[in-house]
Amino acid sequence: MDADSDVALDILITNVVCVFRTRCHLNLRKIALEGANVIYKRDVGKVLMKLRKPRITATIWSSGKIICTGATSEEEAKFGARRLARCLQKLGFQVIFTDYKVVNVLAVCNMPFEIRLPEFTKNNRPHASYEPELHPAVCYRIKSLRATLQIFSTGSITVTGPNVKAVATAVEQIYPFVFESRKEIL
Amino acid sequence: MTGRVCRGCGGTDIELDSARGDAVCTACGSVLEDNIIVSEVQFVENSGGGASAVGQFVSLDGAGKTPTLGGGFHVNLGKESRAQTLQNGRRQIHHLGNQLQLNQHCLDTAFNFFKMAVSKHLTRGRKMTHVIAACLYLVCRTEGTPHMLLDLSDLLQVNVYVLGKTFLLLARELCINAPAIDPCLYIPRFAHLLEFGEKNHEVSMTALRLLQRMKRDWMHTGRRPSGLCGAALLVAARMHDFRRTVKEVISVVKVCESTLRKRLTEFEDTPTSQLTVDEFMKIDLEEECDPPSYTAGQKKLRLQQLEQVLSKKLEEVEGEISTYQDEIEIELENSRPRAKGALASLNQDGSMEDAILFGEEDTEDEELEVAASHLNKDFYRELCGTPGGSEAPVGAEGDSRPPDLEALLGPLPTAASLGISDSIRECISSQSGDTKDASGDGELDLSGIDDLEIDRYILNEAETRVKAELWMRENAEYLQEQREKEARIAKEKELGIYKEHKPKKSGKRKEPILASTAGEAIERMLEQKKLSSKINYSVLRDLNSKGAGPLPEEAPTQGQPRPRRPPRKSRARRPDPPSSNVGKRLRPAMSTQPAKRAAVGETAPPESNPALGAELPRPGVAATVVVESGPVSYHAEEEAEDEEAEEEDGEPCVSALQMMGADDYGCDGDEDDGY
Repeated sequence: MDADSDVALDILITNVVCVFRTRCHLNLRKIALEGANVIYKRDVGKVLMKLRKPRITATIWSSGKIICTGATSEEEAKFGARRLARCLQKLGFQVIFTDYKVVNVLAVCNMPFEIRLPEFTKNNRPHASYEPELHPAVCYRIKSLRATLQIFSTGSITVTGPNVKAVATAVEQIYPFVFESRKEIL
Repeated sequence: MTGRVCRGCGGTDIELDSARGDAVCTACGSVLEDNIIVSEVQFVENSGGGASAVGQFVSLDGAGKTPTLGGGFHVNLGKESRAQTLQNGRRQIHHLGNQLQLNQHCLDTAFNFFKMAVSKHLTRGRKMTHVIAACLYLVCRTEGTPHMLLDLSDLLQVNVYVLGKTFLLLARELCINAPAIDPCLYIPRFAHLLEFGEKNHEVSMTALRLLQRMKRDWMHTGRRPSGLCGAALLVAARMHDFRRTVKEVISVVKVCESTLRKRLTEFEDTPTSQLTVDEFMKIDLEEECDPPSYTAGQKKLRLQQLEQVLSKKLEEVEGEISTYQDEIEIELENSRPRAKGALASLNQDGSMEDAILFGEEDTEDEELEVAASHLNKDFYRELCGTPGGSEAPVGAEGDSRPPDLEALLGPLPTAASLGISDSIRECISSQSGDTKDASGDGELDLSGIDDLEIDRYILNEAETRVKAELWMRENAEYLQEQREKEARIAKEKELGIYKEHKPKKSGKRKEPILASTAGEAIERMLEQKKLSSKINYSVLRDLNSKGAGPLPEEAPTQGQPRPRRPPRKSRARRPDPPSSNVGKRLRPAMSTQPAKRAAVGETAPPESNPALGAELPRPGVAATVVVESGPVSYHAEEEAEDEEAEEEDGEPCVSALQMMGADDYGCDGDEDDGY
């Protein structure tokens, strides 16, 4: 039986990382003292601020670059980034919201079957790499999409890629290969 | 070798003398090559009367040493370095390989991998030992030897994951597909270490069967092969009546005790474990099991479902309780005496506010409202009037945050003190610059952002103070370190020995300057060193003609007058002839040693040679030395340093300043104080 391309696999996005710039210098000390939920790491020179509503953690540098992690969708990430900028505005900085970009998306997906990893590695030589001594999963890289998939023997797959679309495409691409090396349920 | 061109004159007529192994240009006579590798065999008589062949051994790996005179040093250096790296690598590979008892073939293969890695520049930025270990492990994998990455990391005392990273990179870059590791490879090795004596073979075979069974039962995917081996060997040993404790096995196999137990329990879960020893040897069960992680996952799923059902039931119960609570509260409120004035209401506000804030973390606005209305319906509405009233007091406080935080916390570093005023200015100007942009992307789209909630993220004054204190206490050590460091730097600065620890720049090898006259040499040197363009070369040349003959020793050796240097750097070189002849008091025995100074005794006009940096070995001068470009620069910064009292000249040493002031030789000897 050929693999369906229409198989209804749930791809759960667990993390979206984005960056943006406020085009102004931020006084970390001020943020650290007046923000209600911040951690000031002085030795590294950054402030971690956690928002509740979209659950995100933001790393703020004094140059004005901000990295936002923890969102569960692209819209949420943008929303959270805007909120953060608004918060900084209220603290008194002349914030301009520029260069917003989603950098990394992490998703999890579950196959309804188990996978034989050694066989899979053999069939997909250059792209797949499997070191059981180091990590229990096969690491499969798709260069064209710049995506990396970690395939576990239970059938669960972790995908990281530059945006949601790439992640979806990666799963679609890998499905036939994984289907070949699946373990038949007797 | 035809078609070669002479470097000196450009002539093509080159004569090769194979006897001497030279290549000489017949036009200008410069030797282009010597020690050419020839294929003739010559014999020479040695002291005992016998004959021996002439020649040198040239190694296969290293480049043949063909030093070319007069240039081309760069090429030669490159080769040497590469050869050195390879040699070094080979040595290390052999050293490590012998410890692992790898045979010669494996070592050679490893060396080939290493050569490939070096040519792809994979050794850059990585410790050589890591790369060597990765090469060796690659060989182990391709040959199928029973060596684990763990062994290598044991020998090197390096984290195994670090080695693994390097190994994966190497395998990827060299496009070498290492075959997957089979735990069966390790059995003989471990069995040997566990010392089963005569029954070694049998135990190994049993263990192998067990392993294959495990494979079919899906226990081996994603697991360390050594752990599986350990479990298989333990069971096999017991089956053959050998007493091997768990501890012994783990010391051989290098896994943790809990891992081993886990593997054993997993094996226990499989139906194979139910068979007796004899049955196992004969029968092979047909069915396969699911991998243990899969079954564990299923269990988890079931648990989760149970939990969900339970929590639903709980919620229902809770709901009932809370309604009872509300009714009770309402009754109480109504019965309580009202209105103690504004204070009372404020109190109520404060406590309730706290309750909300420190209560559940995830309350959203709507929920807050609901809670608020529940607990204190009429009361609240009266006070605040607006639905989101709880936020108002906070908001008010937040806004009235006074700017005298700075007074409280001490002066904050200003942009100027941080030295970043420039970058800030740039930022600001770029801000104004792309207002066009800003209006497009820069403006914050405030839709959906609840300002009031954001206000909650901003602490008020009292809270700020508390937080500042807490942070200070937490990071006290770090702050302490910083303070100490600053104190140390300040002290060093005072003492004048403050060295900025800049990363060492490897000294550039310079080509020796070929010039026909000393003056030319100076010019070339100055160009090279990019010194001041304000030096009047014509005057320099005049100097040359004036002075008495230069001291013979100095002339050939030094083509370089003292370069200008900032203080506290290395020695000065010797002054070159023109300057030296000025100072008649040149020290004897100065010849090739840098940093020997000539005392300038004479006050002849050639004191214009301050330009060329006659040294003023005057300690007094040292203090007044100024780093300047141009003529002054040569003066002794090296002053205070080696004060060899070779100034036994009876005449007073003239200070640089004096000379400069007194002299007026028209070149830009005017004070370019500064830059």
